[in-house]
Amino acid sequence: MTLLPSCHDVQTHLTEYLEGALPFHRRLGIGVHLLLCRVCSGVLRGLQALPWVAKASLKAPETAPEEARRALADVQALLRKGSR
Amino acid sequence: MTEASLTETDLIQRAAQGDSDAFGDLVRPHLALFHNGIQRILGNSADAQDALQDALLSIHKDLPRFEGRSRFSSWGYKICMNSALMFRRSRVRIQDMERPEPLALGPFDAAGHHTETDRRPEWQVEAQAHDLVERGELRDCLMRALDELPDSQRIVFVLKDVEDWEMEDVARHLQLAPGAVRQRLHRARALLQTRLRDHVLGGRP
Repeated sequence: MTLLPSCHDVQTHLTEYLEGALPFHRRLGIGVHLLLCRVCSGVLRGLQALPWVAKASLKAPETAPEEARRALADVQALLRKGSR
Repeated sequence: MTEASLTETDLIQRAAQGDSDAFGDLVRPHLALFHNGIQRILGNSADAQDALQDALLSIHKDLPRFEGRSRFSSWGYKICMNSALMFRRSRVRIQDMERPEPLALGPFDAAGHHTETDRRPEWQVEAQAHDLVERGELRDCLMRALDELPDSQRIVFVLKDVEDWEMEDVARHLQLAPGAVRQRLHRARALLQTRLRDHVLGGRP
């Protein structure tokens, strides 16, 4: 793979590759490397899955935590004070 | 207390007139969503609670202007996001230095190619991570990994990959060139992927 970009080079530019921000010849070299390299294509799949994993894992819990309920109670107290 | 039969529209009207109980009943069903959005941007800090409080006051102040064109939860969430972003801008970020996180997941040989590829376990995101996400076992790992990121990378990842902002909007908001945003995003993704891979393969808590 001496004519192709190295694994390090490919992985360094994977986000630009995914965003379509690379010139054609760079994109082509990385594309071919990804077809041939199992590890880099695995890293690419990981990057592509990350937004979904993050969204699903970091979604709001069913109930608000104590500090959030406290913030609401404080605001309600302020509103009561203001309406007097 | 307000009656349980009141609609959201009734609650909005009453809350706008200063009824604090109605305001509580209006906001409470969405409180976890509002807090979660703020916490993703600011992390587990006292700032998140302060930003939520500011956001709730803004929601109350702006209620007379709520025209019902979007859902109340979406409208309120936007106000919460703005509050978190304002907080982020104003707070002193002493430790927000660009750290040399790796841009690639090694190890590599001198030519930049992977070493030990035969022994390298491949992280099957589609299979293993999916199960862990379903069981809710990645939240703590991800929150810890997000807290490891410099603020400048965390905000890019959260806005682009979690909140689904367009790259141009992230760049405009942060007053950065799109190339700089992409580099920060890539550093954040590389670190998060490393932590997730360690967690999935190593079963670390």
